[in-house]
Amino acid sequence: METAALVEELKALIIKNLKLEDITPEDIDASAPLFGSGLGLDSIDALELVVGLEKTYGIRIPDEDVGKEAFASVHALADYVIRSTK
Amino acid sequence: MSDLVALVTGGTKGIGKAIARSLAKKGIRVYMNFAADAQAAETALGELKAEGMSAAVMQADVSDQEQVNTMIGTIVQNEGRLDILVNNAGIIKDGLLMLMPDRNWHKVIEVNLNSVYYCSKSVLRPMIGSKWGRIINIISPSALMGRAGQTNYAASKGGVLSLTRSLAREVGRYNITVNAVSPGVIATELTKEMDEKIREEFISMIPAGRFGTPEEVAHAVSFLASDEAGYITGEYISVDGGLT
Repeated sequence: METAALVEELKALIIKNLKLEDITPEDIDASAPLFGSGLGLDSIDALELVVGLEKTYGIRIPDEDVGKEAFASVHALADYVIRSTK
Repeated sequence: MSDLVALVTGGTKGIGKAIARSLAKKGIRVYMNFAADAQAAETALGELKAEGMSAAVMQADVSDQEQVNTMIGTIVQNEGRLDILVNNAGIIKDGLLMLMPDRNWHKVIEVNLNSVYYCSKSVLRPMIGSKWGRIINIISPSALMGRAGQTNYAASKGGVLSLTRSLAREVGRYNITVNAVSPGVIATELTKEMDEKIREEFISMIPAGRFGTPEEVAHAVSFLASDEAGYITGEYISVDGGLT
């Protein structure tokens, strides 16, 4: 999948998964950190997103070391998904 | 002055250093254990000696049983006794359990819980030999109440509290008491660097309305180490401003 399309897909997945009802994909800055700032998500929200991503893409985010890298931004997440599904 | 000898693990910084100082103030000869920071150890030793106290430092990784046995063996050989053990050394590696790197689980258990087993096991023979002893374990509010992100730390400190209660029953007959002290949020280098918002949040949870000092924790340890506290065993004292 093309990165740009994947970024949009991931934004939709994040919104659906974390039930961010007041947020549209346009509100999410694809180069901003997903957790700690910006969207106001905390690390406990990340657990559900990890499970959602693993189910959807058949990838694995084994621990916080990988998680920190993958959740650095939506762009970073897209890169991680692409690398992991190759 | 007394002829008692004490060992404080992680005793050259923060709470451990305050404990070492408060014991040394009573004329107890204090060995301050440290893991790696030789410079901090030199500084702490210099401070206590400048105050006229009887102190020494001992390098050992308390999560390594061999190093613990060597350290305690050396003290007993030097002094002919070891009367007071304060298990203070500890680390945190916070993170949510589902995403916790396995090494962070194991490391925290090794340093915080296994060390208490190794050190306590090693001091019991000299203590039972002299029919007097004090073991004081530093625990945490995380041993008493849940805290997200601290499953490893809470398990280690909860384990230490349970060990405290059971060991107290094994050695009570020999005039050895085993107790724990649970410091709340204590003002150290770490809290100085704390974000203002997080600091306010913490303080709002503490009935005393402030962080504690290392000296306030040391006072409770020093009390439990005293002869007068000989009828207290298998207990813990919270020094947390009412947090728990």
